[in-house]
Amino acid sequence: MSDSKGSTAGDGASVAAIESRLLTEGNLRALGVVAVLGLAVLAFLGLSVAPPDRYQGDAQRLMYVHVPTALMGFTAFAVTTAASGLYLWRRTRNPRWDRLAASSAELGVVFTALTLGLGMLWGKPVWGEFWTWHARLVTTAVLLFLYLGYLALRRMIADPGTRARRSALAAIVAFADVPVVYFSVDWWRSLHQKGTLVNGGRFDPQIHGTMLLALMWGFGAMGVAYAYLLARRFLLAAMEEGIEERMLDAAIAERLAEAELEQAAAFKATEVV
Amino acid sequence: MENAEYVFTGWALTGVVLFTYAFRVARRTRRAARSLGRGPEPR
Repeated sequence: MSDSKGSTAGDGASVAAIESRLLTEGNLRALGVVAVLGLAVLAFLGLSVAPPDRYQGDAQRLMYVHVPTALMGFTAFAVTTAASGLYLWRRTRNPRWDRLAASSAELGVVFTALTLGLGMLWGKPVWGEFWTWHARLVTTAVLLFLYLGYLALRRMIADPGTRARRSALAAIVAFADVPVVYFSVDWWRSLHQKGTLVNGGRFDPQIHGTMLLALMWGFGAMGVAYAYLLARRFLLAAMEEGIEERMLDAAIAERLAEAELEQAAAFKATEVV
Repeated sequence: MENAEYVFTGWALTGVVLFTYAFRVARRTRRAARSLGRGPEPR
């Protein structure tokens, strides 16, 4: 499969140039080291430096990972939607966008599942329950299942072009749940607390000092971890497409050889008769 | 620390999930590179 197939020549070449310049093994290793160090510092800030919350006590320390993983889930699905839109738009149609969409969706599922798990662990000591059927929790679970469906859909369709088109549409439709999740605490009465950092559309933090520092650091550290994992997963997708393409070529060559043998045998039989 | 079992389970879960995912991707990349007969550099 040609990467510039179906796209303008300039677009395919420029995306490939950016990709080969940025995604070198050296850059990725450096990004991986930064991600690990960032997460280690986050653990230090969240578990040791930030004080316990006045009302939630130490259970609040889970927020330094719960909130950043939730934001990364949203970011990952936003990247999937943007890449899907770019794939569907004729002028930029390029398998790279489909690959980026699929890679980011997988990461979005990982981060959203983690968000739900962390929320449940926080809910038990603070609310007395691992799970309640409140809007924020239910809409987040729906979001997780929508993108699990997206990943399942990708496995069901063999033809790469059809798979890319249909899954791009599915990704765009599934993203409609993201604003519902975000605004669910404003639209419905819920046990879930309202925004800690953004209220009424403006940055208005309800926490300060080392608590705010730990949370902001969490966004940065999880962001770098997301970028690193996305780059690695994107490259893996490219390699797996290459293998799929080789297997398809081998199968076609085998079938052609069989057809030639059959033709030769039929010709011999005609000569004998 | 109050509720230490929930706090440490949550943080450990985050680490385990992210590192397991990273290792799985790395292992699949090595396997794919072997199948293609080259290193894991981008095309």
